[in-house]
Amino acid sequence: MDIAQRVKEVVSRQLNVRLENIKEDSDFVNDLGADSMASIELVAAFESEFDIEMDEDEALQVKNVGEAVKYIENVIKEQQA
Amino acid sequence: MRLIIFEDEFFDKLYPISYLRPVFELKCGTISLRERIEREFKNPDSFYFMRDYLVPVFSKKFGSNRVNQMSSLQGDDLLIVNGRLLALDIELASGEEGYFEIEGQLAFIFVKKENLDSSVSSLGELLKVMKSKLPNKTVSATMIDFPWNLVQNNSRAIKADFDRLPDKGIHGELSSQAAIVGDKNLIHIAEGASVRPFVTLDTTNGPIIIDKNAIIHPMTHIEGPNYTGENTYIFGGNIREGCSFGPVCRLHGEIEESIIHGYSNKHHDGFLGHAYLGEWVNLGAFTTNSDLKNDYSSVQLYVKGELTDSEDMKVGSFIGDHTKTSIGTIINTGAMIGVMSNVVGSGKLIPKFVPSFCWYLNDKVTKGRGMKKMIETSGKAMSRRGVEMTAEDEEMFRVVYELTKEERTFWIKKSFA
Repeated sequence: MDIAQRVKEVVSRQLNVRLENIKEDSDFVNDLGADSMASIELVAAFESEFDIEMDEDEALQVKNVGEAVKYIENVIKEQQA
Repeated sequence: MRLIIFEDEFFDKLYPISYLRPVFELKCGTISLRERIEREFKNPDSFYFMRDYLVPVFSKKFGSNRVNQMSSLQGDDLLIVNGRLLALDIELASGEEGYFEIEGQLAFIFVKKENLDSSVSSLGELLKVMKSKLPNKTVSATMIDFPWNLVQNNSRAIKADFDRLPDKGIHGELSSQAAIVGDKNLIHIAEGASVRPFVTLDTTNGPIIIDKNAIIHPMTHIEGPNYTGENTYIFGGNIREGCSFGPVCRLHGEIEESIIHGYSNKHHDGFLGHAYLGEWVNLGAFTTNSDLKNDYSSVQLYVKGELTDSEDMKVGSFIGDHTKTSIGTIINTGAMIGVMSNVVGSGKLIPKFVPSFCWYLNDKVTKGRGMKKMIETSGKAMSRRGVEMTAEDEEMFRVVYELTKEERTFWIKKSFA
């Protein structure tokens, strides 16, 4: 399964949003209802799903699903290097 | 004679409350274990040995020439005391040379300077040499092996401390509308302290010590033994026996047999029993801990990652410095909560172990907004009480963050598995 699909599944599970309603440009706060605490859980869930460690400040600045996919791809590349 | 107080290798059995202090800075009664040892001597010439990462912070407190100095182990008669010794009902300064143990653990050594070995390169090595060189003797006293031992001995320590007070009596303000149950002679109110109207002080089971500038507000009931430290304010509630608070705590609600270090707050309703809180802890409104299981079995707690039987039916929670709980947090019996964490109650019991430097949210351990933000928040909390976080404090936090990383990662993974 590609990273984008896995990201969407984590978002769906954590934020309790139907998978088909999660788009690349879905904004975590405005479209998916992630408050500050849900965002922290989402970061932890991404780390667990991809077995990576993300910088909290950087991760919490990611605004939408597409940005999250790109950010996670970069972290995976860096940490596999 | 020189007094040496040291931490032995069992400091980690006292986590989380020993992460940010040497074990001898833990409190029992009205003072720390160190102060209790030093109280036995007039003007003690004291030196201290502790974990390396604590040295910068505690050198500021004790003086850098008094911390981890090998030169202090030569040139004078030495009384070397294990910092986990609760120096109650024990004579330390008898002048009798020996290697004194309590149930197989070193309690203290007294050695004359002519019998010292100048070739040793560490305190540990000196202790080993002394064990083989000096007569081994057994003494009877209490060693603090686990965090709950401090709580178990708190009432006894407060009573002993009251007996040692040089100027017992009412020096501060005791409202004529406050009520005393029991012997008034068992109350000490220090200068500047104030006991307001509609407070009841009950000395039936032990003394009550209210230290300088503490304020006991109306509708507070205090049962002795109790120690309310300097500049601590109690804003009503039922303060049951065996509590030590402060300095500079803000308290309310029901508290029983608990020790709360300085600058920690439990400002609202909720029950805290058989608990030990480090400095700068803040318990949100209605935070409550269980200290008794419904089947009355002995309480088990996590010590070094393993559940350990306390062999005690009444054990509450142990909360590391700078940790905060949200409103409505319900803490399980015998919970160990690390330093600088943020615990958010979700209506369910908080588990028996929460790592340091994490956010516990919706029944999951996360790393929250990260160490940097956690330290920043603690700095803000400290500045509200006029205390500045130093560069040495920050460095100590960073070391403990790294020390606790593995267990934090484990619990985060477990939460999201």
